[in-house]
Amino acid sequence: MLISFNWLTDYVKLPPSVTPEAVAEKLKLATVEVEKVTRQGENLENIVVGKILSAEKHPNADKLKLCQVDVGKEKLAIVCGGSNVAEGMLVAVAKVGARVVWHGEGDPVELQPVKIRGIESRGMICASDEIGLLDVFPKKDEKEIVELSSFNFKPGTPLAEALALDDTILEIDNKSLSNRPDLWGHFGLAREVAALFKGTLKKITAPKIKGGADMLTVKIQDQLACPRYMAVALNGVQIAPSPSWLQNRLRAVGLRPINNIVDVTNYILLDLGQPMHAFDRLKVKSLAYPAYRTDRRQAGKKSKAPTIVVRTAREGEEFITLDEQKRKLDSSMLLITNGEKNLAIAGVMGGLESGISPETTEIVLESANFNAASIRRTSTKLGLRTDSSARFEKSLDPNLCSLALAQAVALVQKLCPTARVVSRIVDEKKFHLFTGPLHIPREFFAKKLGTVIPAKSIVSSLGRLGFGVRESKTNFSVTIPSWRASKDVARAEDVVEEVARLYGYDNIPSVLPSFPINPPTEAKEHELERTLRDILVRELAYTESYNYSFVSLAEIKNIGDELGNYLELNNPISEERPYLRRNLLPNLLENIKSNNPERGELKLFEIGKVFRKNEQGESAAIKGNEFLPGQDSMLTLVVSSKDKTAPFWEARRAAERIFARLAIQWATKAADKVEPWEHPSRLTLIAAEGRVVGTLHEIHPRVSEAFGIEGRIGVFTLNLSALAEKELHHRATFKPISSFPEVKRDIAFIVDEKTSHADISDALQKIDPLLDRFELFDVFAGSAVPAGKKSMGYQFIFSSPERTLTNEEVARAEEKVIEMLAEKFGAAIRR
Amino acid sequence: MFDEITKKQVEAVAEIKAALDKTQLEKVETKWLGRKNGVMLEIMKELQKTVGEERKQFGQAANQLKQAIEQALREKHAELSEAAWSNLLAGERLDVTQPALPGATVGHYHPLTLVQRELEDLFTSMGFMVVDGPELESDYFNFTALNIPADHPARDMQDTLYIKDHPEWLMRTQTSPVQIRAMQKYGAPLRIVVPGKCFRNEATDARHEHTFYQLEGLVLDKGINFSHLKATLEAVAQHLYGPQTKMRLLPKFYPFVEPGVRGEVTCSLCAGQGCRVCKNSGWLEIFGAGLVHPNVLEAGGINPEKYQGFAFGFGLTRLVMLKYGINDVRLLESGSMKFLEQF
Repeated sequence: MLISFNWLTDYVKLPPSVTPEAVAEKLKLATVEVEKVTRQGENLENIVVGKILSAEKHPNADKLKLCQVDVGKEKLAIVCGGSNVAEGMLVAVAKVGARVVWHGEGDPVELQPVKIRGIESRGMICASDEIGLLDVFPKKDEKEIVELSSFNFKPGTPLAEALALDDTILEIDNKSLSNRPDLWGHFGLAREVAALFKGTLKKITAPKIKGGADMLTVKIQDQLACPRYMAVALNGVQIAPSPSWLQNRLRAVGLRPINNIVDVTNYILLDLGQPMHAFDRLKVKSLAYPAYRTDRRQAGKKSKAPTIVVRTAREGEEFITLDEQKRKLDSSMLLITNGEKNLAIAGVMGGLESGISPETTEIVLESANFNAASIRRTSTKLGLRTDSSARFEKSLDPNLCSLALAQAVALVQKLCPTARVVSRIVDEKKFHLFTGPLHIPREFFAKKLGTVIPAKSIVSSLGRLGFGVRESKTNFSVTIPSWRASKDVARAEDVVEEVARLYGYDNIPSVLPSFPINPPTEAKEHELERTLRDILVRELAYTESYNYSFVSLAEIKNIGDELGNYLELNNPISEERPYLRRNLLPNLLENIKSNNPERGELKLFEIGKVFRKNEQGESAAIKGNEFLPGQDSMLTLVVSSKDKTAPFWEARRAAERIFARLAIQWATKAADKVEPWEHPSRLTLIAAEGRVVGTLHEIHPRVSEAFGIEGRIGVFTLNLSALAEKELHHRATFKPISSFPEVKRDIAFIVDEKTSHADISDALQKIDPLLDRFELFDVFAGSAVPAGKKSMGYQFIFSSPERTLTNEEVARAEEKVIEMLAEKFGAAIRR
Repeated sequence: MFDEITKKQVEAVAEIKAALDKTQLEKVETKWLGRKNGVMLEIMKELQKTVGEERKQFGQAANQLKQAIEQALREKHAELSEAAWSNLLAGERLDVTQPALPGATVGHYHPLTLVQRELEDLFTSMGFMVVDGPELESDYFNFTALNIPADHPARDMQDTLYIKDHPEWLMRTQTSPVQIRAMQKYGAPLRIVVPGKCFRNEATDARHEHTFYQLEGLVLDKGINFSHLKATLEAVAQHLYGPQTKMRLLPKFYPFVEPGVRGEVTCSLCAGQGCRVCKNSGWLEIFGAGLVHPNVLEAGGINPEKYQGFAFGFGLTRLVMLKYGINDVRLLESGSMKFLEQF
């Protein structure tokens, strides 16, 4: 929202030392976000009003014109590409030396004489964004230049002087105003500024309007949606341009003047924050009462009283709004009608048919209050946000309607002395605002703020903001002004905020809280995530990736998963990725794909939540037994390389290191089911202390191919939520160091290719007390071993805690091992 | 005889000095001190033949000769060793400016992880517990319990991602629902931080992301007030940006706190002088905060008459962008190695 400082200071007296910048700073610290302070006419030196004497086509360019421009003392030849340039037009001319922003982009540059397509141009005819006046002269098309013809300016007048650009404009962030319906007009903001600076606020008293004899009635069908509706009819109206003071006011805050009546409604909106609407009374009536037009002399006598009906729209009803758009309505939307024809979408936009036209002579002025939620829903559904809907959706004070209507009537009559009020002033209302009093214990302020604000200061702050305060020994009794009661102030805490922000957050001391020393509860899953990141990044050189929680249909198809397993967004940001990931893999495969052309080998991982509709997650409400879908925290790591087996082993290496670091017992476990993205013969489940917590596998080549990835991909997935649930207190334990020497024997066996290390390992457990441990150190197949066989090299370590072993003892134990392996696995020693 | 010995001494020392390498020196040594037919051996044989005073004088001279030879040999040995080392080492020269090859492969933490850890470590050192919650939330926890009424704009489809066929489910728009879950689970007093992923229905570009990360905090105890909020967040700001950092609080509306503020710190890039990053204001907004609204405490099962608290939220995504000067927010979830390996 744009605020004119001149307009603001019409209402609040500030010491001359208080600059617009100071007001902006104070507002920022105590009330709302001020995004920008712009002094009008800044950088307008050497820019003057010019009159186009002639505009010929440029001999060397189709879209350029060669203009002779009268700029007072001299005539300049200027080349211009403006879409609306024409002979006789008054324009803004930047002379050589002026500072302009080329095409409205970048920093201002000093204008030099230039040759454009061979012809010298000694200045520039400006578009509004080239001279920082876009707010004042909004552009309709890209190449539109500022047209000043409607003003009676003398060529050569400096533009700043001609346009009376002596104002300063504050740009306020609308979002920061969302809970302050009272600040959506200049008067309301002036009231706030007066409170902040202890300035004097000019009082507005509603002028008395004398009603006329014409009948005008209002019927509200939904009082909740429309708590108040005021209307009055005037005739003798003459549509004309507004006087320049009004035009300047509107332009200063970015509105285009239209005509006196529309400008009045806009002025009131910007002044008081109350949206107004003006209907053409004749059109309103003639639509509803066809007889009226043919017998106008008897108007008001014979015909029925013109009635405004506020009702909800019918499903699918159509309506053409002022902007000439056909809108499709539904039953949640509120309409203003005359009983038969629709006049406006309540609080959002008027209709094209009933709008003010140059021929209008009679009007009905509307000043109403609509339910915020209803307006917001309507405006959202229609995709139509207006200055009016933006205000109504903040919950305006219904009391504002009467002041606004009186001011509007007075202003119409001032601009158009022939206008006369001809109807009674209709005021249908039913609303209640809670205005207190709130009884707030005196110590409540200190309890909330941690500092004692003197009672005098509390009373004064609240008083300046319009609150009523009565003090007793124990309490402040606070009444809430109606303009603050419609939304944001309803309880003691809200009042504390008012006092605190006026006192200044900077003035509240900083005091660190003191707490008992109780160690925080252990966050196991979180600790686990941290440890795994450290192992993977620091020890194993993996890179951590973060991905979206959403996947595409193509990705789901590419990994071969069932679409039915997926939760879907109702309103996805991109149609491409509407599904919630139930596996971290697809996104990681995309990561590999996008990095692969440049990097042969990749080691990536992600830790994040997956969403599984068939699993039960946390509760969805405090009571009841509804649950959210399962959202386990997962680790997935991927290793990609062109090597045929390395990726799998690298992934397994990571699994080994992780469990070693966590000091958790683990084992592989045959998978009872193969997922479509898993390589069926390079796949195992991983169990930690008996419970399956992960999977180790290679990606099915079909899936790699679908993702467009060359080479193999090893994957290790670990369910961290499942792992964290276990009581994992296995720490490394100390074993006394034997003082007797160990005996090491390396033996390679030829076994069937399908023999597994796990089976051999199981068989070797407790085979002989002297066999302390054993390690696989080498596996190979190929030409050195018979087809269908492989060689497995083990190192066996024999020792005793009690004595040095004899050769015979070791040989006996070794023989036992060899015999057992020969018997169980047909293992032959390779010599 | 003595003259003879003196001559030999001169001769021997000259020969030793003339040796060019260790092989020659060995030959010279053998010639003079050799055990089979070294010159010295011959002299000693001569010595055997003498008696009395002559023998004594002869012995002294012979001894002197031997010592002189040994001395010269030691010196020559040292000289030759030194030269040999120099030669050898000169030939072993390495280009020390060259990096070790092949380079060690190193992993990389995601920058969001790095910044999140920095904050987590600070808060846990102050006795906060790190808590997590669901990313797919219920309307109740994400909105209703946080004092966000049914018609609040935040609930619009254009701001919130909802789940198909489950009108009560949505992707959480903030980490604040975990406040309620934690209050329910742990009660008061309570000190938690909640780092996590949040979502909003927003088209992405260099400055906007539908997926972003927050770090939420909540402190509940008897007698917690605004001055505590201020000091705690000042401590955080100074931890992040250095002890000279100033912080200021400005009013901002959030339904779940009252009063609500946003926190700005002096821009760390220009030390508050004004630059492009802080849009010439000298200040950077880095968090929102406030005293927990009584309705929120009640929703969490906490008696607002007994306990008060403050809550705050940092935009981790924003902190990361500021810290590393990242110019496109989409890079954070691009999985691009060119980006990730910079951290």
